[in-house]
Amino acid sequence: MRNEAIPLQISDEHASASACRVADLLLDIGTVLLVSGAHSGRVTRNIERVARAWGYGLEIFITFTGLMVSIKNEADPSERVARFRRAPLHGVHFGILTEASLLTWRVVEENLGIDEVEDRWAEIRRMPHHPRWAVLGGVGVACACLCLLAGGDWRNAGVALVAAVCGMFVRQEVLRKRFNPMIAFMLASFTTTLIAGLDMLYQFGASPEKTLATAVLYLIPGVPLINCAIDLIEGHIPTAIARGVYGGFILLCISVGMSLSIILLGIHNF
Amino acid sequence: MDFLVPLFRDLLLSFVVAAGFGLLFNTPRRVIWVAGLLGGLGHGLRFLLLQQQIAIVPATLAGAVFIGLAGIFLAHRVHTPPVVFTMPACITMIPGLYAYRAMLGCIRITNLEMVKKDPDVLPVTAHYFVLTASLLFTLAIGICVGALLFRKRSVKSIFRRIF
Repeated sequence: MRNEAIPLQISDEHASASACRVADLLLDIGTVLLVSGAHSGRVTRNIERVARAWGYGLEIFITFTGLMVSIKNEADPSERVARFRRAPLHGVHFGILTEASLLTWRVVEENLGIDEVEDRWAEIRRMPHHPRWAVLGGVGVACACLCLLAGGDWRNAGVALVAAVCGMFVRQEVLRKRFNPMIAFMLASFTTTLIAGLDMLYQFGASPEKTLATAVLYLIPGVPLINCAIDLIEGHIPTAIARGVYGGFILLCISVGMSLSIILLGIHNF
Repeated sequence: MDFLVPLFRDLLLSFVVAAGFGLLFNTPRRVIWVAGLLGGLGHGLRFLLLQQQIAIVPATLAGAVFIGLAGIFLAHRVHTPPVVFTMPACITMIPGLYAYRAMLGCIRITNLEMVKKDPDVLPVTAHYFVLTASLLFTLAIGICVGALLFRKRSVKSIFRRIF
């Protein structure tokens, strides 16, 4: 149940901002940041910036799957609100990170009120991803270049490109049909390795090993793993453990998919 | 001077890699070139250090720390949080080949016949596994070098302190 605005004066500029509305907005910003690939320190900083600007003290508890926010009106300590929200599925979106950071700074520097922030935040939440073909192309070219960097020749890179694009396409399709994300990782790495493995089977190009090693790199969970290390360093142990386990499990799923197709093609060929 | 052509090739390729991963991570279009630039320079630095016979872990550390520090400066210029481009930039140095060899070793170890025929598979797999983990952790250190070296938490406050 959503609480209706409690008519409490916070300050003259933000008279309409009731504690419940503020808490709901902060919670929403926090959960979306969390699933878009922000480390715990960034989530806390962004939310705290807004809460301070509006005259609230903030306590926050972040887990990988949800967020708890408790705010207290500095001017009237009897006004307190605590809220919890589950986080949706994680999916990296640095565009949202950027816009949220800019928005929260604007709250501090331009004294934005809650109405404007709510409107702007609703726009940011709906921010589209890059077009699908651009991601497919970018991923394919990136993996081909990684193959060249690792020491493959142009033919190896070509195979890596095709393998990565096909695998990424499979992943997008599986995710679109709302299957478990881990199945998507497994099927994508299976597809990619099946195509890249043909390179090994027919000894096409100078070093087919490089094709196999680099074609699946678009699946690497770099963001959760690196955020895990950042959280560890900054002392957010619960989220660090969860991110590490999540990233590690994705790595395991990638290896399972790769192993399946390598075994299918015959381990003696590798 | 004959290292210039491979260096240029390295810069160009890693520029494309970082830009591609920027697309995958939904880095805003206006700063994708920053990701590419940092990725290119960081990977190029690692390339030069490797040419000087420096081991791969310290060379990667140098590249990643360079990306982290340069990211802080560029973040202020383009008004964007640094992770948005340091993350795709560091992906250029991801140890894919070593991870692949470690995984292949693990598949081989499941088959006892193969281990008996080639006992080297155990130390080799362990080596690649540890190397992969070390390199991944090194990349993470590069990205959060800002949080490690500066006591202030956000890029804006770091800049207010220095200038």
